[in-house]
Amino acid sequence: MTAITVHNLRKTFQMKRKAAGLRGSLRALWRPAYQSIEAVRGLSFAMEEGELLGFIGPNGAGKSTTIKILTGILHPSSGEATVLGHVPWQQRQDLAFQIGSVFGQRPQLWYHLPAADTFYLFGKIYELADADLHRRIAFLAEAFEIEELLETPVRKLSLGQRMRCEVAASLLHKPRVLLLDEPSIGLDVVAKQRLRLTIQRMSELEGVGVLLTSHDAGDIEALCRRVIIVNHGEIVYQDKVSALKRRYLTVKTVDVRYNEQLPADFGLPGVETLKVGRYGAKLRFDTRETPVEPVISGLAAAGSLADVTVSEPSLEDVISAIYERTETESG
Amino acid sequence: MASREVQFISDEGCVRSPSATAVAGKYWAIFRTQLLNSLAYPVDLLGRSLLIVLFMWIFMNLWRVTYGATGARSIAGLTLADTMWYLMMAEAVMLSKHELSETMSEQVKDGSVAYLLNKPYNFILYHFATGLGDSVLAFGGNLIIGSAVVWLMVGPPPGIAGWVFAFLAVVLAWLLDFCFSALIGLSAFVVEETAAFRWIYQKFLLLLGGVLIPLDFFPGWLQTISLNLPFAWIIYGPARLFVDPSLVRLGQVFLQQGIWLAVVGGAVWVFYRRAAVRLAINGG
Repeated sequence: MTAITVHNLRKTFQMKRKAAGLRGSLRALWRPAYQSIEAVRGLSFAMEEGELLGFIGPNGAGKSTTIKILTGILHPSSGEATVLGHVPWQQRQDLAFQIGSVFGQRPQLWYHLPAADTFYLFGKIYELADADLHRRIAFLAEAFEIEELLETPVRKLSLGQRMRCEVAASLLHKPRVLLLDEPSIGLDVVAKQRLRLTIQRMSELEGVGVLLTSHDAGDIEALCRRVIIVNHGEIVYQDKVSALKRRYLTVKTVDVRYNEQLPADFGLPGVETLKVGRYGAKLRFDTRETPVEPVISGLAAAGSLADVTVSEPSLEDVISAIYERTETESG
Repeated sequence: MASREVQFISDEGCVRSPSATAVAGKYWAIFRTQLLNSLAYPVDLLGRSLLIVLFMWIFMNLWRVTYGATGARSIAGLTLADTMWYLMMAEAVMLSKHELSETMSEQVKDGSVAYLLNKPYNFILYHFATGLGDSVLAFGGNLIIGSAVVWLMVGPPPGIAGWVFAFLAVVLAWLLDFCFSALIGLSAFVVEETAAFRWIYQKFLLLLGGVLIPLDFFPGWLQTISLNLPFAWIIYGPARLFVDPSLVRLGQVFLQQGIWLAVVGGAVWVFYRRAAVRLAINGG
C-alpha cells in the first residue's frame, strides 16, 4: 500500500527584500518589496508503507519544506499530496496521530527535564492509556539502548544519546510513517552508525515507513533502498541506491606499486595516468570505456607487482557530481 | 529481549484511546511538565520571588508616609494594612504572569512556531497550559515570601474567604492576561516586532490595572474609566477581592472577567485562525 503520494507539489514563499543601509530601510518602510522564492517546484513521488526512502539535496533544495508540507504544517501553493490517505494540511491533527517526525535541528525533548518526562508528556498528547505507555517506553528504551539515559536531564546527554532519545520519542505512538529531517546532523561517526542501526531495526520490527532527509550520503547508503535527489526544488534523480551506484560509480582509481623501477613513460591504453613515481603510479579509468580485466592484466604484465588498490568514488562524490551536472544544465 | 519485542509487534495495546478525559489529560500533562521544568531550577525560582520583598518595602515606606500625612485611619475604605495586603496580591499576580507574548512573537519570527504544530493538540491551549504551569509556581513563591514580609510589617492577612476568592479570580485573571499576551504575540505575524505593544500593555496594567495604586484612590472619573477597561480585572479585581471578600464583589469580578474573556478570547480565536492560515501559506 502507498503511504505517501505527492503529485506536482509546488511551494512559493514571499520574502521581504530590503536594501542595505538607512536609505534601504526607509524605502522598505515606504514601499516594501517582495521576492518570490520557489522552494518546491513540481515534485512528484510515492513512498510505499514500510519503505525506507532517502531524500537528499544541498541546503535550500526544498527538503525541509516538503517534509513540513507532509506533516501538515505548511500549505503547498499548488499540487496534491496524501499521507496515509490524509491530506496533511487539511487533516493535520488526525494525521499527527499516525505519523512521527524528528527535526534534527529542532529538539522536541524538554531540555531541562529527563527524557522520561517528555516521553510521558508525549504519551498523554497522543492519548495513550497509561499501561500501554509504560510498556511502550520500556520497549523503546531497550530497542534504542537508552534505559540508562531516561532519568538524566536531556541537557546532560551527548548529542548522539539525545538523538536516539528524540527518535525513540517520535515512535512512542507507533506511527506508520516516520519523517526524519536531518536526524544525523552533527553526530560523530560512531553515533551516526548506532542511530542508523536502530532506525533500520525499528523499521524492520514495526514496518514503519521512513522518509529520511540528510546531508550525509552515508545515511542514505546505509539505510535506504531507494533515493530521491532534489536540487533547487526539483527531483534530479529518483531510483534505487544500487542503480545509482551502478550508473555513476563507473570511474575507478588505481594505486599500483612495483618491486622494480618503472619506466618514465609508464602507461596503459585507455587509462589516464595521474601520477608516476619511481616504483608506483596512480591511474584512473572509466569502466564504460575500458573494462577492468585488460587494465589489471596490463598492470600485471608491466612488471613484478608489490601492491594494487582499486577504489571507487564515494556516494557523496557521485551525488555532488549529479548536483554539478544539474547546475550546468540549468545554468 | 526478543520476547518483549515479539509481544510488541503483535500490535497489542499502544493504540489511541480517545475520550474527553484523554483530551483534558493532554493539557494537564503539558501543565505538569512545565511545572516540573520550572522546578528544575529552584534557586532561580526563589530569586525571582525575592523581588517582591523590595517592592513591598518601598510601598510600605510610601504608604506609611501618605497615611501619616492625611491622619486618616483609612482612605477610600482601605486601612494601611488593607492597602499593603492589596499591593502584595497585586504584585504577586503581576510578577508571576507568564511572558507569553514574547515567547510567541519570537516563535513566529524565527519560524519555530511550525515545530509546535506537528503534534495533535491545539496550539493556543498548549501555550495556555505551559503558561499556567509557569505562573503557578512563581505565584506560589511570590505569595509565600510576599505574605511573610507584609505580615511582619502590618500584621496578619485577611481571612480564609479572601484567599479562596482571590485564587478563583486569579485563575480567570491569568486567562484574561493570557488572551492579551496571545493577541500581542500573534500580532507578530503582521507587524514582526511586538515590543512596543508589550510595553504599552504593561503600562496599562501598572497604571489602570491597579498594580501601583488601588483604583479606589483614583479620582472618580479616572476610577470609572479604569473599571470599565479590562486591565482592572486582571490585577485590581483579584487583589481587592482578597482584602474585601464579599460575595457581591466576587460576582462583580467574575462578571467583568467573563465579559472581557468573551471579547478578548474571541478576538484571539479569530486572529489565531487567520494567523494559522497565514503561517501555513507563508511558512515558518
